[in-house]
Amino acid sequence: MRSALVVEWHKLRRSSTVRATTMLMVLMLPGLAIGFLVLARGGGPGAAALKAQALVPGEGWQGYLGAAGQVLAVGMFLGPGFVAAWVFGREFADRTFSSLFALPVSRSAIAAAKLVVLTGWGLVVALLTVSITALAGLLAQVGPTAGADVGSGLLRLAASAILSAIVATCVGLAASVGRGYLPGVGAVILLVAAAQIAVLLGSGGWFPVASPGLLAMAGSPGVPPVSATQILLVPLTALLAGSLTVRWWARAEV
Amino acid sequence: MTALLEARGLCRYYDGEAAVEDVDLTVAAGEIHALVGLNGAGKTTLMRMLLGMARPDAGAGLLHGVDVRSRPDWSRVGALIETPFAYPELTVRENLAAAARLHGVGEIGAAVTATLGRFGLERWADRRARGLSLGNRQRLGLAAALVHGPSVLVLDEPANALDPAGVVFIRDLLREYAGAGAAVLVSSHHLDQLARVADVVTVLHRGRVVGHLDAAGADLEQAFFDLVAQVDGVQVDGVQVDGVQVTRRGP
Repeated sequence: MRSALVVEWHKLRRSSTVRATTMLMVLMLPGLAIGFLVLARGGGPGAAALKAQALVPGEGWQGYLGAAGQVLAVGMFLGPGFVAAWVFGREFADRTFSSLFALPVSRSAIAAAKLVVLTGWGLVVALLTVSITALAGLLAQVGPTAGADVGSGLLRLAASAILSAIVATCVGLAASVGRGYLPGVGAVILLVAAAQIAVLLGSGGWFPVASPGLLAMAGSPGVPPVSATQILLVPLTALLAGSLTVRWWARAEV
Repeated sequence: MTALLEARGLCRYYDGEAAVEDVDLTVAAGEIHALVGLNGAGKTTLMRMLLGMARPDAGAGLLHGVDVRSRPDWSRVGALIETPFAYPELTVRENLAAAARLHGVGEIGAAVTATLGRFGLERWADRRARGLSLGNRQRLGLAAALVHGPSVLVLDEPANALDPAGVVFIRDLLREYAGAGAAVLVSSHHLDQLARVADVVTVLHRGRVVGHLDAAGADLEQAFFDLVAQVDGVQVDGVQVDGVQVTRRGP
């Protein structure tokens, strides 16, 4: 398992896909939150300003963290989802899958190593993104921190980002079964769309792709609270999908 | 001689059609066993089953006498099937280190340095695999398959994309490994490329073993086509081009 972990980490570290996704996530997501805040503050009748006002639920840090929650709810699933699609799907697209047979390291260990590396990367990127979001808020002087409950808001944001990154590893199953990037990317799009529908129907809390986002936006007007059971479903779903992925890799043929 | 690799009645069907049917084959220590056949003869499918990449519908593949489906010791097996172990984002050196690690090599740095030298890859050691020519990618794939000094080699068309010097290099390499006691199973559809160094040349046709050729024989191609035509029930007037065009006469 250790050998597989080292190799998978090395592949992830050297990938331009992963580097680009990391940069996009840690810079673009906080940038978008700041952008929405600036647009909302600017006011005016323009479509962009109206949309921004809808995304910023309140003033100061409350509004900023609410906007960041909405941005991260989607972004923290999309980015890790695409990376998961690459990590698993690339073995088929690059036709390297056959090289992973007839080795003393089992394919289930290789698949497990991919999941571990993906999860670790996701956690780091989630924490980095939330840290930069906080820093950007301070630099942009979005409002006074005293009495704004910034600490708990950031903790909620971090928990939401981590949960999203964890559940995004499920995409590896689609990329494996579909034997390529595209089925993985398709699964990401489908799951994001399904999450939106689930939220619209009022059952988003029970949908593990949607509940982290609802957690990030907790307290915003019209957002239902998320229960501990609903939160627990997120890592359980990732565990179930992960074990199915490992099992698939153990039994797969070339 | 002890068979390090063995096929016992291996069968594999796709959509009811036999890709490999009832194939028996052994590869002993110190032996080079060449599989020859036209495209689609079943060479790759047979090798896949021997390496656990495909499940047989009947029969078994054995490595050191252990069924390959029951997790035998793969640490001394080196294989190259179809696509080389060459991750585009990694350099040649990093690819070899990854292959060495996955094969359980202890002294990875030393193994990689020695392999780079043995395969003439030093010049490209720090170049990413995506920037390599097709021939050098194949060289890298072979190097990755052999970085751990295996005692069983399974190589599917190892001379693919290699220049004539590369083909000579592979022949020498196979002789060297067999000389050191390794069991070598190699496939080729270009008869003169690798079959000449083989101790045993098995002809696969339509998924079945249809006979054996004398590697030292005068006209290997003619012998091959005669055998294949005999199985197909046609007479052959003559071979025109290596494996491409055969003039046939009547059933």
